[in-house]
Amino acid sequence: MSLVNLRVNGVTYPVDIEMGRNLSGVLRSEVGLTGTKEGCDDCECGACMVLLDGQPINSCSYLAAQAADREITTVEGLANGDEMHPLQRNILAAGGVQCGFCTPGMLMSADALLDRNPDPSDEEIKIGLSGNLCRCTGYARIIQAVRATAVELNVSP
Amino acid sequence: MTVTEVTAEELPPFVRADGPDKVTGSGRYTADLTLTGMLHAAFRYADVSHARITKLDVSAAREMPGVLAVITDADVPDVHYTPVIADRTLFARDVVRFEGEILAAVAATTPEIARAAAAAIVFEFEPLPVVSDLEAAMADSAPLVHENWDGYEISGDTIRDRNVATFSALTKGDAAAAMASADVVVSSRYVADASHAAPIEPRAIVAQWEGNKVTIWTSTQVPYDARDGVCETLQLPSNQVRIIVPHLGGGFGGKCGFHFEAHIAALAKAAKRPVKLVFSRYEEFMAPDRRREGMIVDITTGVTTDGTIVAREAWLAIDNGAYMADAAFFPQLAAMHVAGPYKIPALQIDANLVYTNHQPSGSVRAPTAPQGCWAVESHTDELAAAVGMTPVDFRRKNLVATGDEGPVGQTYDEIGLLECLELAVTSAGDESALGENEALGVAVGWWPSFAVPAGAYAKMQGDGSVQVITGAQECGTGAVMTLRQIAADELGIEPTSVELVYQDTAAAPQGPGATGSQTLLNHGRAVERAAREIAQQLKELAADRLEAAPADIVLSGGVAAVTGTPAVSIPLSELAAEAAGGDLLLGSASAPVPEYPTLQGSQCVGDQGVASWLAPQFSCHVAKVRIDPDTGVARVLEVHAAHDNGTIINPIGAHGQVEGGILMGIGQALTEGTQYGEDGKQRNAAMLEYKLQTIADAPAITTQFVEIFTPDAGPRGSKGLAEAPNVATAAAVSNAIAKVAGQRVRQLPMTAERVWTAMQSSSDEGGAA
Ligand code: FES
Ligand code: FES
Repeated sequence: MSLVNLRVNGVTYPVDIEMGRNLSGVLRSEVGLTGTKEGCDDCECGACMVLLDGQPINSCSYLAAQAADREITTVEGLANGDEMHPLQRNILAAGGVQCGFCTPGMLMSADALLDRNPDPSDEEIKIGLSGNLCRCTGYARIIQAVRATAVELNVSP
Repeated sequence: MTVTEVTAEELPPFVRADGPDKVTGSGRYTADLTLTGMLHAAFRYADVSHARITKLDVSAAREMPGVLAVITDADVPDVHYTPVIADRTLFARDVVRFEGEILAAVAATTPEIARAAAAAIVFEFEPLPVVSDLEAAMADSAPLVHENWDGYEISGDTIRDRNVATFSALTKGDAAAAMASADVVVSSRYVADASHAAPIEPRAIVAQWEGNKVTIWTSTQVPYDARDGVCETLQLPSNQVRIIVPHLGGGFGGKCGFHFEAHIAALAKAAKRPVKLVFSRYEEFMAPDRRREGMIVDITTGVTTDGTIVAREAWLAIDNGAYMADAAFFPQLAAMHVAGPYKIPALQIDANLVYTNHQPSGSVRAPTAPQGCWAVESHTDELAAAVGMTPVDFRRKNLVATGDEGPVGQTYDEIGLLECLELAVTSAGDESALGENEALGVAVGWWPSFAVPAGAYAKMQGDGSVQVITGAQECGTGAVMTLRQIAADELGIEPTSVELVYQDTAAAPQGPGATGSQTLLNHGRAVERAAREIAQQLKELAADRLEAAPADIVLSGGVAAVTGTPAVSIPLSELAAEAAGGDLLLGSASAPVPEYPTLQGSQCVGDQGVASWLAPQFSCHVAKVRIDPDTGVARVLEVHAAHDNGTIINPIGAHGQVEGGILMGIGQALTEGTQYGEDGKQRNAAMLEYKLQTIADAPAITTQFVEIFTPDAGPRGSKGLAEAPNVATAAAVSNAIAKVAGQRVRQLPMTAERVWTAMQSSSDEGGAA
């Protein structure tokens, strides 16, 4: 066991863990943030997507120890206090949430996409979210929500 | 009848009550739960498809540090269970019949220790011949999956023989004689591989005992079925078992039925601690008894030269897998899909559900329908070609319309199937505008409404807020959210003033849950009636205060007013406060079950209750497909859907169901197929090898609803909608592929390899299909 500091959504959590543990598991148990989901543990579904120094990663396949002392953002860190992030608001308004299990990962990928490309085309949205599987929606409403968010953020950055 | 064309951008915002939980990460799914003292479970699977157990020794596992319980068949009541044919036990006994059969369950302090202990269990066996091929399984000389098949307890009108688990036949008129009179006869064989529901959330269960009562948090679509399964197998009265469903991460039928709740409850009891099970993706593919069944369809249809169907004969073999989950009625259901929504004067369909040493099959979203529809609608295009008609004209001539007699002699009230055909075809546009290697494929489909009992409670509290308590389960469809709207409309208030309690068997009255597109249909009728009872109480209170007759009071905008004089009104919150000091505002209702239509002029053998269809739901899908001739890769560019699902109450939910169903249908059409090895085991039980559709694969989808008020169905003339969109897509894709490839692809999924192979044989023949 080793003590590492995980910095998640701006808060530092000292956690005592085996060095082989994956990040999603530690976020969900030791850190206590269960918004990050696990759909496969093998880089296949994207439900576990979080941001590491702003880059989207599948946290199921990333060692927690490697994320020590870096900035981790999970879905719990998207909203600004009680005010939802425009992506959260827009994905609901568009009907892009059904069972919601893919949603946290989808939102983190979309956030990272808009960060590096504030005005993505539909094709670019599809590429940006192609690592996130959704079994419920048919995806069109998720694309619509990302598009709407881009417009909203570009009008009032 | 009205046609609604609502584009995504114009949809009214109807924000889901569970939405904020789901987008902020605050919502808890079952795997998110942790209880004090909780242990972790692991199963030891047989990992062999057919074998006699010669040794099962758990002593080493029991001795491992951190292990608190290891249980096997010897530790649970001696009960054979499952509906219709009681052919299985919770844990393997003597013989294992598929790779995912559970030999033992372990509870330990960490998941790693639990898995290590499961691996330390000694299992020795003598292999038995593996039954994998459907037709071989039906031979008289075939090895039996269940040696004692004749000894199980059965219920209902169930016809069985050796490896044939159930058999149904639909007979109308004299099909052989009618066939002999046909001008043109076309025979086809279509074979569908098995596939999976594959919800993104792998299932999870947490069980905790307090005294003689157990609470089980589980990712089930059907809390009452799960409870009944636990009660039956662990022999507990139903008031000692409480099922709670946290947020559910999708099901698509894969989480219907009773699965592993009893295993975990028994483990928790043995360990005297709460126990949690979380499946890996591999387990989610391999172990549950809810796989979409593989199927062989042999179909022959006779037509006259003017394109009128005169007779149909078909033979079906459906893969049941090793045990009866809920597939007993599949032969009849599949037979209805192979009949299709056509006017067929003479019909003979024989359908067999066949035991194999595969994972058990069960109700995955519209069971038997995508495969049956794919077969019959591909065959229908072959019929049209044989008499020189376009696929659309052939369907125009033969599809059932209002007042027509359908394939089993049932006469239909107002239905919108022909309208669906015209709308979808028109929306798809002209074939002359297509690019190279592109084609449009048309298919129609249908799906029944299942009416069963359901109850609901409703209460308006002193502050005027409303709570509706329902046995419905939200699996993502949003159908439960529609129940808020129904209650709100009855009471003249906003849906946001209605809170739902919907996932707890200790709180809600019995109901089917999220299965068979029944939430709106069955739970909806109960909620409507329960809310109506409160509405009546409010009207009586208001009538007193406003000096009018209760019948003259209308509830709207949060007030009770006298009809015609809206100025004379009183806020509902005032009435609610008054009631809180006297007669409480409580409603409870159990909706009467609509009567099923009776069969006319046809017979059904081996009837499992679906020989005629209540409030059938109709659809037409047109797919625009492009094929890369070098690789055989087919891409679906557009799908144009038109649906008759009765009145649409929640448009955003309805569109979401159609779009999601179509994408699943494209997966079934092109990539989703389970491959079995000679050993009967799955060879692609992982998402990289079993490919779901990604966002990059998503086509443009247009959806139109032909809204017909359907009496004796759901509230306000509605029908269900969760499964109907998953019927016709694969068939539409098939018909487009055949046009481009010049040849039929007769196996589902129509993978790049199969399409490419068909194209080669087509160019070898140098001709069209
Ligand atoms: S859980 Fe990490 S990609 Fe699926
Ligand atoms: S909303 Fe269910 S998986 Fe995307």
